[in-house]
Amino acid sequence: MKSSAKNYGFGLLLVLPAMAVFTLFIYYPFIQSLYYSFTEWDSIRDPKFIGFDNYIYFFQDSKMMQGAKNTIWMTLFGLLIQNPLALLLAVLLNRSFRTKAFLRTAFYLPVIVSLVVASVVWNSILQFDGVLNYILTHIGQEQAARDWLGNIRTVFPVIVLLTQWQALGYCAVIYLAGLQSIPADLYEASTIDGAGPFMKFRYITFPLLMPAVTVVVFITIVGGLRLFDLPYVLTNGGPGTASYTLTLAIYNAAFKEFTYGYATAAGVVLMIIIMIVTFAQLRLTRSREVEL
Amino acid sequence: MRRIAARPDNRAGLLTELAMIVVALLFLYPVFYLFAASFKKPEDFYNPLKLPDSFYWGHYAKAFDKVDVWAGFLNTAFISCGALALTIGLTSMAGYAIGRRPQKTFQFILYFLLSGMVIPIQTNMIPLFQLGVDVHLIDTRTFLVLLYTAGTIPFATFLYAGFTKTIPRELEEAADIDGCGRFRTFWSIIFPLLLPATGTVIIINILSYWNDLFTPLLYLKDPDKMTLMPQILQFKANNQSVDYGPIFALSAMATLPLIVLFVFTQKYMIKGMVVGSMKG
Repeated sequence: MKSSAKNYGFGLLLVLPAMAVFTLFIYYPFIQSLYYSFTEWDSIRDPKFIGFDNYIYFFQDSKMMQGAKNTIWMTLFGLLIQNPLALLLAVLLNRSFRTKAFLRTAFYLPVIVSLVVASVVWNSILQFDGVLNYILTHIGQEQAARDWLGNIRTVFPVIVLLTQWQALGYCAVIYLAGLQSIPADLYEASTIDGAGPFMKFRYITFPLLMPAVTVVVFITIVGGLRLFDLPYVLTNGGPGTASYTLTLAIYNAAFKEFTYGYATAAGVVLMIIIMIVTFAQLRLTRSREVEL
Repeated sequence: MRRIAARPDNRAGLLTELAMIVVALLFLYPVFYLFAASFKKPEDFYNPLKLPDSFYWGHYAKAFDKVDVWAGFLNTAFISCGALALTIGLTSMAGYAIGRRPQKTFQFILYFLLSGMVIPIQTNMIPLFQLGVDVHLIDTRTFLVLLYTAGTIPFATFLYAGFTKTIPRELEEAADIDGCGRFRTFWSIIFPLLLPATGTVIIINILSYWNDLFTPLLYLKDPDKMTLMPQILQFKANNQSVDYGPIFALSAMATLPLIVLFVFTQKYMIKGMVVGSMKG
């Protein structure tokens, strides 16, 4: 064995390249961002320190607020509807259906399709002379046909539903992995003790599935916060500000209105929200681990 | 576990299965629509339910005519593979060191890296633009490789650090006694043993690199260097008339490699989704 000091040095040498790339492209720009978020800065003038003005304006900006509001709606939908549906889907996919392989593939395949391509396809299905309205008219529901993405009232609910095309399968995969990690003898023992299906779900499946639930809740929230491609390609936030998300509002503040300082401040706010969610998730996961 | 689940030989089970098949077909429909529409004759394109009765290749020809599809594929493949190779090279070393050394410094380094995962690209996008200009990498594929790598380093290092702990130390000690140099020990003995972790890193990142829109949208303007996703978007924007056929053809081509990959590695990809979900 060589001396541990040498080991230590060699270890540092191995870590160094990753640290260098990470620091240069993540932390160095991040520290700059913290400073720029306190400046007024556009494409013409140099950054000028203005204190908390960007952060104050953030809460008065109708686009950001609409984006935040949409994100909250999406999160609520994700928690109250998507989450239970994904769990149901996972429970069903866990059954020994004859067509199990086909069913699993069908629900997972959408996950690999890029959001840009998904937008192209859905746009074509949902446009005024698209498939959906065609079907609605042919089954005698003309009054239901509308410009789904051009209407202030329908546009964001439709985008939220579109996210489900990929989110349901993705979340079901995580639940399915959770379900399959529950030891079968627990169910056998409970059957002997006379537990019915509901009791089994309530006292075995659900508690042991909690880690998967936390992961799904976490990705639902963070995924909602980061949603950009769908509204960018489909509507660019429109009509009006109806389909803005936070990331889209930040992108437009930077590259449409060229208010760099303000966009950076909004980016910092986004990061703080993600940070809070992450810490909450870590604490939850840790406290559960102690319980088990 | 599965034995306990209800057997589908009763009527309720059969009905559930039928309902599931109907929903599954609805989920598959957009993928089918993507390919079907790319082969539809122009005169049928706006008849939404009409299926193509033969393969019409005109949209593909038009897509190749208007967009440098090969360049798009090569750029996307180069950037995806470059970022994967660099990530694997850097993080297998770092993760191995962190997983092996007992000192606090290495734990601290891991936490430092992991803390970067809460920073979304929107926070850094403007200083990154400046940085790209300063180091003369703006509008280059290399810049994207570096950005993707930097973003993947935390989680990949974490995976490798965890996996290193499952490899017995005796191997390194034996190699050490045989007079094998430390770098050689790592690359010729340890790295091959880390292969399962390497596979996971590839599977959980390839999709996000291939399908990414945001980063190339910001940092790649040159049409010769553009990747597939912004190419589709640009094509759609330039094509204000409503000629959707070629856009579908381009989208179908950009999706096909991923579908092939999915068909052959489905099991691993699904496992990768579960592992990858933890990175959020």
